[in-house]
Amino acid sequence: MTEPAIRISEVHKAYGSRRVLDGISLDLARGTKLGLIGPAASGKSVLCKLVCGLEQPDRGEIEVFGERIVGKREVDLGPLRRRIGMLFQNYALFDFLTVEQNVAFPLEQGAAGTLSAETIAERVAARLRAVGLAGSEAKLTAELSGGMKKRVGIARATVADAELVIYDEPSAGLDPVTTQKIYDLLSADQARTGATVLAISSDVAALAGFVDEIAFLYDHRVVYRGPAATIADAPNALVRQFVRGDLEGPLDQAGPGMASLDRSIK
Amino acid sequence: MSNRIEALGSAALSLVRAGVELWRVYVSTIAGVMRGFSRRKDRRGHGGRARQSRAQSELVRQLHAIGNKSIVFIVITLGALGMVMTYQACLQLGRVTGDYSQVGSQLLRLIISDFGPTLTAMMLATRVGAGIAAEIGSMKVTEQIDALRMSGVLPIDYLIVPRFIACLVMMLMLAVLGSAVMYAAGGLTAKYSFGVNPNTFFDLSFIRPRHLVLFVVKCLAYGAAIPIVAGFCGLRARGSSEGVGWATTAAVIGSSFAVIVLDFILSASALWLTGGDL
Ligand SMILES: Nc1ncnc2c1ncn2[C@@H]1O[C@H](COP(=O)(O)OP(=O)(O)OP(=O)(O)O)[C@@H](O)[C@H]1O
Ligand SMILES: [Mg+2]
Repeated sequence: MTEPAIRISEVHKAYGSRRVLDGISLDLARGTKLGLIGPAASGKSVLCKLVCGLEQPDRGEIEVFGERIVGKREVDLGPLRRRIGMLFQNYALFDFLTVEQNVAFPLEQGAAGTLSAETIAERVAARLRAVGLAGSEAKLTAELSGGMKKRVGIARATVADAELVIYDEPSAGLDPVTTQKIYDLLSADQARTGATVLAISSDVAALAGFVDEIAFLYDHRVVYRGPAATIADAPNALVRQFVRGDLEGPLDQAGPGMASLDRSIK
Repeated sequence: MSNRIEALGSAALSLVRAGVELWRVYVSTIAGVMRGFSRRKDRRGHGGRARQSRAQSELVRQLHAIGNKSIVFIVITLGALGMVMTYQACLQLGRVTGDYSQVGSQLLRLIISDFGPTLTAMMLATRVGAGIAAEIGSMKVTEQIDALRMSGVLPIDYLIVPRFIACLVMMLMLAVLGSAVMYAAGGLTAKYSFGVNPNTFFDLSFIRPRHLVLFVVKCLAYGAAIPIVAGFCGLRARGSSEGVGWATTAAVIGSSFAVIVLDFILSASALWLTGGDL
């Protein structure tokens, strides 16, 4: 049990001529929470997909729970993926299923389908209550607001008590109060299950209150990694600039903050 | 010049790659069908009930969507074609010999060994092929396919296998229905436009077992090809709604084309196997 939950070494990934990740390395110990920040289109979501084997890297090695996943066949990745919960940036909810069926899906498909229907229904109901969606069980996902979809996504990612949970923007588009509620929920979940967490967010302040460490993805690499509590005073000037620029106002996350970052690099 | 050769080369390469991928989808679908059957055997009575009942209700839903909802479409199109074909045949015969006694029996032979299954499949390729590609394609671009994979589900097993089985079954049923309607519509046309006696028209004596075998073989081949080509196009959708549009168009063209090519191959093989005595 000593091997890290995630070990990424020297991973390269490009789409056509567009470099996204260029020799990225990252280790994540079991039971820890890592936040990942970086400018828009820096490859954060791509990194999440690489970790789950949803995309294959061009070069490099990725191990999850000590298992190498690069070049593995789809059938063989199933058991490993069931140990991972994933909240997709744009929810990726099943639009042909109701809220309840969406959340039940990982339980129905997981663990060789050994759970009884009653157990599944119970756990789904408990999870929906936890994310504050009791009463919306029968709705189709098209009838939900963005924030509700996000919470369904969180419920689906955590319902099977995954050992590794990946949250891609759990708080994007939510108001500050809901954001805080979501992070409280994620913290409580993590404390309960002891899961390893990889969280991506552009709301660095809220993210810093949730994770132990923060890594900064920039220029196709992880350029900084340090404790979350002191991220605003990080020794790396890039990170300080990015984090502080981000805190100026909720509206200029990718606007003026980014422009000043670009200038400082030149 | 060398640029053009390069472009040609890379086009050929991507065509070969697509072919290989299509073949893989086919093999995985067959493997998925097998897995489905063996799973059913293991799991009888305990565990996995939720998953299995979901799979069954999905199959029923697909049978309905592919079969029942195509009935009116198939009846109308094949009925109209049966009328037109008979009318034209009688018209020409009237000019030459005026003997209509063979029209019915020859039409039936033609319907069973070719037009029934092939026209039904062409209609199904447009209606069902487009539907499958649009459904799977939009799931692809909204990352629902990735979400399926995260639950350890194989997208081919979950999405293509039920459509494959439903299409195989319904292709056969619809072809029987379409052929019957086509023949009946022909008979009515012959009677009311040319006064052909129905007893002469509805003459089954020329049908031989080999015609029926060819009918079934063609139905199975088309029924397998349509969902696989359409599902393959759906899974290849990229980007956004534009990608879904592309996948839908490609599915209709690809599956109709597959039907025509299969028709040619199967008809030629049948002729060859029977030594021309079909
Ligand atoms: N399937 C794909 N095909 C082609 N290019 C892709 C694909 N997925 C991602 N990219 C490209 O990779 C780059 C990184 O994308 P990614 O989604 O990881 O960004 P991100 O860091 O998550 O950004 P954001 O904060 O806006 O979510 C982008 O330039 C994107 O265009
Ligand atoms: Mg992203």
